[in-house]
Amino acid sequence: MAEDTILADDLIRQLISVGEVDLIVGISSHNNATATSHAYHAIEQGFQQHFSRQRAVIVNVCGGNNGDRDASGSGLGDLAEKNVPSVNSLRTVHRVTADFSVPPSPGLALRTVLTAADLLRARACAIVSPGTTNLTPDRIANLLMPVFREKFDFVAPLYTRQKFQGLLTRNLLYPMSRALLCSGIRELYSDEWGFSGRLATACLNQDVWHEEPIRTRPEAWMAISAISSDFRCCQSFLGQKLQSATGPGPDIVEVFRQTVGNLFWCMDSRQSTWLDCKRSEPVQTFGPGQELTSVQTDLDAGRIFEMFRNGVAELGPILGSILDPETHAEINSIVACEENTFRFRSDLWVRTVYDFAASYHHAVINRDHLVQALIPLYRGMIFSFLMEHSHSSAAEIESANEKLCVEFERQKPYLTEKWQAKIEVKS
Amino acid sequence: MRQTILQGLVQAYNNLVHMIADFLPRFLVMLIIIVLGLLVAFVLKYILRIVLSLTKLDRVSEEAGASRILRIAHLPSITALLSRSIFWLTWFGFILIGLSVLGIASLQEQISRLLQFLPEVFVGILILFVGLMTANFLSRAVLLAAVNAGLRSAKILTWSIRFLIWILTISMTLEELGVARQTVISAFSIIFGALMFGLAIAFGLGGQDLARKALEKYLGNTNKERDKEPQPL
Repeated sequence: MAEDTILADDLIRQLISVGEVDLIVGISSHNNATATSHAYHAIEQGFQQHFSRQRAVIVNVCGGNNGDRDASGSGLGDLAEKNVPSVNSLRTVHRVTADFSVPPSPGLALRTVLTAADLLRARACAIVSPGTTNLTPDRIANLLMPVFREKFDFVAPLYTRQKFQGLLTRNLLYPMSRALLCSGIRELYSDEWGFSGRLATACLNQDVWHEEPIRTRPEAWMAISAISSDFRCCQSFLGQKLQSATGPGPDIVEVFRQTVGNLFWCMDSRQSTWLDCKRSEPVQTFGPGQELTSVQTDLDAGRIFEMFRNGVAELGPILGSILDPETHAEINSIVACEENTFRFRSDLWVRTVYDFAASYHHAVINRDHLVQALIPLYRGMIFSFLMEHSHSSAAEIESANEKLCVEFERQKPYLTEKWQAKIEVKS
Repeated sequence: MRQTILQGLVQAYNNLVHMIADFLPRFLVMLIIIVLGLLVAFVLKYILRIVLSLTKLDRVSEEAGASRILRIAHLPSITALLSRSIFWLTWFGFILIGLSVLGIASLQEQISRLLQFLPEVFVGILILFVGLMTANFLSRAVLLAAVNAGLRSAKILTWSIRFLIWILTISMTLEELGVARQTVISAFSIIFGALMFGLAIAFGLGGQDLARKALEKYLGNTNKERDKEPQPL
């Protein structure tokens, strides 16, 4: 167990009263009592239907509101515990709420769950999001089962996606992480995943919890820790992911900071993990692979192209300091193309992303600014994707994605060379 | 007559010898102080360079965009610049102290005024440098935010920010140096006030529709705008 704990004394006392458990499911609820209540129900159903003989606990990490506490049971100060006996289950399902004065960051929420898992010596753990409206008992089981029964250490989710959904994941995060880490985990950035108690303890003992990328988006780091330390990783199909429609959609700048910035940070802090890795290995998948569906979308491709073109023109000097001169010249040349003839070639996209990663490592400009400067180019890439695949089938899109992954792997030596090169002074 | 001339010559010779005897030790002391200053300046430069290398100031300066400005101005890295500055400041200080040993009254007065002015020059340079760095950093942040939000006049916004910070920095530097203090403050107040007043009138009268549309777009249809882009995750 980690020597210094972040758990309050009361919480530790209550966890000790729960005793050792087999399963832990952690949720981090934010001001939404209905969603939290729904999540509790689904998790308990999951325990009853699939793990009736196992000792289980739900840890709800929340803060700054009363709704979640009420949803978990009573409102008793910093901690609330409720034990739910059920007809099917042979065991009592415990509910524990870790209540912070302000809403905890995702990193702090995860650390709390990991510390609880370590303290209770849990064998299988999962993190789920109360924001997922179609959280079902089977979904919980799909995250826990590979760890509990098959002895895997990390379970990444797989989803049914719409054709034009998750384009950042499909065009950058997945192919790049696959090329770097030699592991074909598709969803590094998801708010649902499973892990073993062994991995929880290993992650808990790492001195990274004060880092901003871990505070805001710890899941990819946990996956990368598992891959790099030879923990067994797999993927499990969870079906469609439906998010509650409250609040504005994700802000692209924030998404880039939390995913692309996070991936670059992980690359920078774990160089030894990926520099020597040569060829990607397939990851065992439970259930079908990723599914794509076609639905009508209200995308404004013209506006996306305009933002790309405008961005490249306005950010010329910044892109000049980040990109290789040849890559920059090629991007400037495609900007001049008309919408119907425009294509962002995959080799150019890969070189662009790798130039950004290397420049992030060398800190040629402020790193947050650097990550933001990639957004207009990403818009160019997705415009090209929308034009190319407007009538493509799921199989064709999957095939194109595979080709992009191969391109990322093929050009990895280019990244390695740029990464290890001494910083070039550009005026 | 002859005797008087001889006495005058002897007197002049004695005065010269006396002056040389009086001046030479002070001159030697001055040389020693200057040489000692050179050594101290070298040591300080060396220590500062090591300390700054350990603190990775060059990387911070690179990230903040200050290094780019220095490169454009054909100046060395921030570490080299600071260590050289400390060398010259230290040595210059020792030279002035050495000169004051000579005991030339008018020179002493000038030196004392110069010594009083030196810290202000140093602070002025520091204000100028920090101001330029801030202007560069903030204008880049504004440019990126504007471009990613799809604003068409991103460069105008960026240059406005840069220009405002430059004006503020230059005014602060001149005020620190005490150059036409009242004039600088008045000029800055007039320019800044006129600029803001002009913008307010231009936006309020000339751009009523634009302002309404911008506010509607910002407050009312944010989600709709975002929906027109594919979900990244």
